[in-house]
Amino acid sequence: MDSTQLLYDIHNGETFGTLIAIYFYLTGLSAGSFIISTLSYGFGFERFKPLGKIGIVIATLLLVAAPLFLLAHSGQRMRVWHLFVYLRFSSPITWGSFLLMLYPLNCVIYGFFMFKGQKRLTRIFGLIGIPLALMVHGYTGFILAFGKARPLWNSSIMPLLFLVSAMVSGIAMMIIVSVVRDRFFTKERVVNTDILSALARMLGWCLVFDLFLTATEMAVHGISHLGAQESVALLLTGPFAGLYLLLENLVGKVLPLVVMLTPRTRRAIPLLVLASILVMIGIYTMRYNVVVGGEYIPLL
Amino acid sequence: MAREIRFGFLVDLRRCIGCQTCSIACKQEWNVPVGRYRSWVKQVAKGVFPDTRKSFLPILCNNCANPICVTVCPVLASYQKPNGIVEIDPHKCIGCRYCMASCPYGVRYLHPDLGIAQKCNWCSHRTESGGQPACVEACPASARVFGDINDPASEISRRIAQNGVQQIKADMGTAPRTFYIGLDEMTVEVKAHGHELMHLSE
Repeated sequence: MDSTQLLYDIHNGETFGTLIAIYFYLTGLSAGSFIISTLSYGFGFERFKPLGKIGIVIATLLLVAAPLFLLAHSGQRMRVWHLFVYLRFSSPITWGSFLLMLYPLNCVIYGFFMFKGQKRLTRIFGLIGIPLALMVHGYTGFILAFGKARPLWNSSIMPLLFLVSAMVSGIAMMIIVSVVRDRFFTKERVVNTDILSALARMLGWCLVFDLFLTATEMAVHGISHLGAQESVALLLTGPFAGLYLLLENLVGKVLPLVVMLTPRTRRAIPLLVLASILVMIGIYTMRYNVVVGGEYIPLL
Repeated sequence: MAREIRFGFLVDLRRCIGCQTCSIACKQEWNVPVGRYRSWVKQVAKGVFPDTRKSFLPILCNNCANPICVTVCPVLASYQKPNGIVEIDPHKCIGCRYCMASCPYGVRYLHPDLGIAQKCNWCSHRTESGGQPACVEACPASARVFGDINDPASEISRRIAQNGVQQIKADMGTAPRTFYIGLDEMTVEVKAHGHELMHLSE
């Protein structure tokens, strides 16, 4: 009785794919480095001052690069202006087209005043930028969550998960940036260990939160409806198991977490940089697993 | 007061012989690109040899009453007409594929040359002037019925009233307006592994 076997079916092809995964990854990195940049110039944590300027430069550049991947993915590139003329407010992409204009604009203004040394204006635009940075990355989580056909995407935890993983990848990138700059681009060539240990601790706790959300999603999907169970099986025992369990979670999150939260390893700079590289690889794998894994299982 | 037309589609699976004539008629009517389909018949084998039987499931756009593709289309390219048909404006679509990603039925595709999304629209160029969709005309088993479900005297309304009807994935809340008589849940649920299908579509 159990033996039903598919003989013929049609699959009309991949929808989002790798380009969109890369786009999500870049906006996440941008939002993360923007928030690190505002820690000193927006909120007054003086310790993070050395990362203020480089943070905003990187955040702006990444957010200029990210939409290029959207453009590459679009089937009708010359019609991008339609996004600003024909508006559907129920679509997260419509929210996103305005956020993708406002956020880089605000980044440029904030950076301009920062380099001019106008503290008060820098602070104001830094604080305006925080909700924009959260929204510009949060909306990408909504894009997936509104894709109601795909059980792996259709989860209300998705925007939050995307925000937390954005912080994770952003902090990891700032650790690498900080070490590379201090070591190769300063006269003294002395690495600022004070800032590194603060970033490492922050990264550790963000990783804890990220792992908690990831586990929550897996547990709830695992006992939910059939489609959700299939998506869990895909990640835990199916073709994505290696990417998901080993690369994303073990190599990309758990091992770096141990490095970040152990005081001895946290102070070993080469280890810290290696762990940060693993985190960046891990979060890219997460974007890939969610986007491509989410649409891997056929609908009918 | 004249009642407004609301089109609906009914597939009587007791009659379907799985001949794929509907798929071919659709391909010809719309010049659907190679490897892409607006309408097709899923085939499933049930049982163990020699006690086996084929089960057929013709799939086409549901032209849902609550279409998620319209909700998520960022440029108003996907829209719903008062008669219920969900259309894609070929001059507005930017090919972002969000509609394809969110449609629970996988009936949309990106035209490889035009770069825009396309799908079954119940042959609106025929049906809005009183004709029948190409697949309905072609079906040799008369398994497909198209008509106005707001008109209680139409054939589709009578058939829906007289039989138990089902919808695919009604739990999605999309309110599909393609109905089936004798829908087999097991046939709906059987899926190939993703990689096999990826090859099929290339």
